[in-house]
Amino acid sequence: MTAVAEEAVVVLSRFADAKDAYRSKDLRQSLYDEGEVVMADVLVNLHGDEHRTRRRVENRMFRREVFERYERDLFPAVTDATIAPYVAAGRVDLVHLGHELMLNLAALTAGVDRPQGTAQETERLYAYMMSFIEGATLAHSTKDKTVQRGVIAQALDDWDAEFLAPSIAHRRDLLAREAAGEHVEVPRDVLATLLRHADELTLPPEVIRREVAFYLLAGAHTSATAFVRSIDHILGWIDEHPEDATAAVDDPLFVQRCIHETVRLNPSSPTGRRRALAPVSLRSGIDIPEGATVVIDLQAVNRDVTLFGADAAAFNPRRTLPPGVAPFGLSFAAGMHVCIGQDLAAGVVQRADTDPESHLFGLVTGAVQQMFAAGTRRDPENAPQRDAATARPYWGSYPVLLG
Amino acid sequence: MTFRIEIDRDVCISSGKCVADAPELVRFDDDELAELVPGAVLPSEAALLDLARTCPSGALRLFDGEQEVDAG
Repeated sequence: MTAVAEEAVVVLSRFADAKDAYRSKDLRQSLYDEGEVVMADVLVNLHGDEHRTRRRVENRMFRREVFERYERDLFPAVTDATIAPYVAAGRVDLVHLGHELMLNLAALTAGVDRPQGTAQETERLYAYMMSFIEGATLAHSTKDKTVQRGVIAQALDDWDAEFLAPSIAHRRDLLAREAAGEHVEVPRDVLATLLRHADELTLPPEVIRREVAFYLLAGAHTSATAFVRSIDHILGWIDEHPEDATAAVDDPLFVQRCIHETVRLNPSSPTGRRRALAPVSLRSGIDIPEGATVVIDLQAVNRDVTLFGADAAAFNPRRTLPPGVAPFGLSFAAGMHVCIGQDLAAGVVQRADTDPESHLFGLVTGAVQQMFAAGTRRDPENAPQRDAATARPYWGSYPVLLG
Repeated sequence: MTFRIEIDRDVCISSGKCVADAPELVRFDDDELAELVPGAVLPSEAALLDLARTCPSGALRLFDGEQEVDAG
């Protein structure tokens, strides 16, 4: 169904229309208009040549050969170390663990160093990250937004002084030594990539600051919410399909399908938003006037029964899909702003000839599988609770037992 | 006879998905934009459709004669 409201808001709820809109050059990103305190001038908010130039540079860091190193060499050890104390304790809140774990992984990919390596240092970075998440999702906040903008701006200043400035100095030193012919290992992360291509991008310091903060929050937050939701869905699936209990532990292809199915049903943002820079006509005949806001209803798009079947609204990792339709629907968007971290988080989409030995499963798949290997099950004494601080459908707490 | 394939350099965002999926057909040029490997043998229409669909920016364009193919 498609509706054009009086205030020039066009709502798209069909898969083909949504994909068409995402690929239109005349529809500009507007999802983060209220979150500019963190999101101004970051990659996902750019348009046209400015976007293409920065995306081409940053994409060098988001290629499969880089992901292979992260997925096979770096992430498993970080995941083990993060989970271990909770396994020893026999219980954990998945919401906290998800953000702690994904923060550890996102700090690696964003390029935020923690030279002290202490739990206190990580707690401070965690607090900054949660503040940045609030900034990016300010449009859906239930708090006083003016007050929150000030709090988040201060957090950015403090984080810059404690974490970002030393990380920049470290990478600049390595890049200078590399340029002088010294054999040094410059990290393959977003910050180092930006600094390496500084002449090409000419980004002012405040944009570098927000760009790295964006990668930290986006990498951690979207993966953390997918982590919790996936475990919730898998626990429910196993209740109904106990024959799949072992697959959650020893079949990464099955776990990856569960991640994709979770992301389809629960897109990180329930809607996409664009603003029309010029009149746009979609292939289906829908006309979008210049200046209109386009709302892409991902909940509806991803539950289209003509594509995903009569049980489209249900979690079913065994469902079959028509050609050209990704198992996660349009949750990672499409077109120029398709999620740059899609393969890193959710892996490469499986095909009939996928070889599990060389396949990239994504960091959420790896983390969820490790949780089931650690014996994750519901805590009968403590039911999960929704997050009341946002209109987005997040879990506020999700206690589970381990071991 | 299979589809003809073109790469729109103005649209390519260097995601590298086509290079990873079909290295025998697509490579990076000196600007790290996707380009066709000279003399490469084109795969089947189905394989080309799959490849075009994985391009996030829509830079891979397929043609059946003069008619552009909608990869969906």
